[in-house]
Amino acid sequence: MNTSIYKRLIQYKDLFAILIWRELLIRYKQTTIGVLWAILQPLSMMLLFVLVFGMVLQIETGKCPKPLFYFSGLVPWTFLSASVASSIRALTDHRELITKIYFPRELIIFSKIAVFFADFLISIILLFIMIYFYHIKFSYNTLWIIPLSFILIINTATISLLLGTLNVYYRDVKLASEFLLRFWFFGTPVFYSVDTISIKYKILLFLNPLTFIIENFRRVLIQDRTIILWQFGFAMTVSIIFFIIVYKVFTELERSFADVI
Amino acid sequence: MLSDYAIQFDHVRKKFSKSQNQFGTLRDDIVTLFRRKRSQDLLHKNEFFALKDVSFEIKHGACIGLYGPNGSGKSTLLKLIANVISPTSGSIEINGQIAPLIELGAGFHPDLNGFENIYMNGAILGMTIGEIKKKMDQIIEYSGLQDFIATPVKKYSSGMKLRLGFSVAIHSEADIFLFDEILAVGDEEFKEKSFNSIKNILKNNKTLIVVSHDLDNLSQFVDNIIYLKKGIIQN
Repeated sequence: MNTSIYKRLIQYKDLFAILIWRELLIRYKQTTIGVLWAILQPLSMMLLFVLVFGMVLQIETGKCPKPLFYFSGLVPWTFLSASVASSIRALTDHRELITKIYFPRELIIFSKIAVFFADFLISIILLFIMIYFYHIKFSYNTLWIIPLSFILIINTATISLLLGTLNVYYRDVKLASEFLLRFWFFGTPVFYSVDTISIKYKILLFLNPLTFIIENFRRVLIQDRTIILWQFGFAMTVSIIFFIIVYKVFTELERSFADVI
Repeated sequence: MLSDYAIQFDHVRKKFSKSQNQFGTLRDDIVTLFRRKRSQDLLHKNEFFALKDVSFEIKHGACIGLYGPNGSGKSTLLKLIANVISPTSGSIEINGQIAPLIELGAGFHPDLNGFENIYMNGAILGMTIGEIKKKMDQIIEYSGLQDFIATPVKKYSSGMKLRLGFSVAIHSEADIFLFDEILAVGDEEFKEKSFNSIKNILKNNKTLIVVSHDLDNLSQFVDNIIYLKKGIIQN
């Protein structure tokens, strides 16, 4: 499977690079502060969370400093939700291209994800700076962030491909997406911790791949704990299997996109 | 080259649906999913064949005119060659990189300037970043848009967009060029320039397919004409 994805995409690597470059260009055109937005956006969100959930609603975050707690949840959530939201419309927005010329259609979606991944990396750097200022020690556990981010990317790609494709056939997806993402947000431990949830809801929460990722982001970064290996292995395996299935279906369906889009 | 032919169509048929939605409901879709194999040759309500049993071959280096009234299936044929849609039945073989110029500048983004859009369009036509860089000056000069290359394309006139799109395409490394009615646009000077470029392309053993309603104009420079009517090739 891996080699076939590689073979399929390698001859389009220049197009992929230019699509990413184009996404970045478009994003900061006609802005005055440009790339500074990549820093301002996540920080302002975190401040809002501290204000609303920390100070007004006073939701329990345990021993963890509130800004760190919210930010470590917001960073993965923002990457996934922003990627999915823009991927849903990505294919239909490129109708002009899709009906004129062939290239692997997933490049459109992957280039969107790549740009949000750049944001994600900037946010991770901000997160590390905050951790440093809170005098929390870095250890080998911190390195778990890399495989955890990998699971995050795989899941983001799977959901983006799936919903982007569905939207080609049924525009209902675009209309439902706002509700869907908001619902998903409440089902993700961004502003609360799963430890405060009763056991019967906890199991439901772990059906959400983001629950595992965010909880472990906090474990390895803030609490200096290691991950639970069998859980990690399970999450990784399930994520990869889903990705392969969805990608396979995508490559089958993409041949008929121009007929329906 | 692997084959003498740039393009081979073998008993190609293409079915389209007239209704706005290609699907009914989710339930209908699931039902047809299981019936697909059997229903290939059957026409459901609102369906029609845009191409009925089309077979032809085009050799490398040939210049072919595609002529026919509206609705005869010309655009469908071009889309099949461009590999954008798949035939309902029959087979298509293409040897070489294709540069479709069906509506020039389809890949332009309005907020990006001419320079940035050259990169985008070039990459879509299969050029590498290195090739685009190398040919950038040529592309800009050919388009005659030196003074506007840093202007967002949304401020371009349709003639300017056409010139830029044509210029990128003409400099691409493609083997097969598809032109849809574009020769009728642009002023006299640019038209002459593009005719010369097309002759140049042909000299380099590239294949050209030109679509037109104008038979006189077409027969001036093509080797052969495919006359389509109601989805069937006429002789």
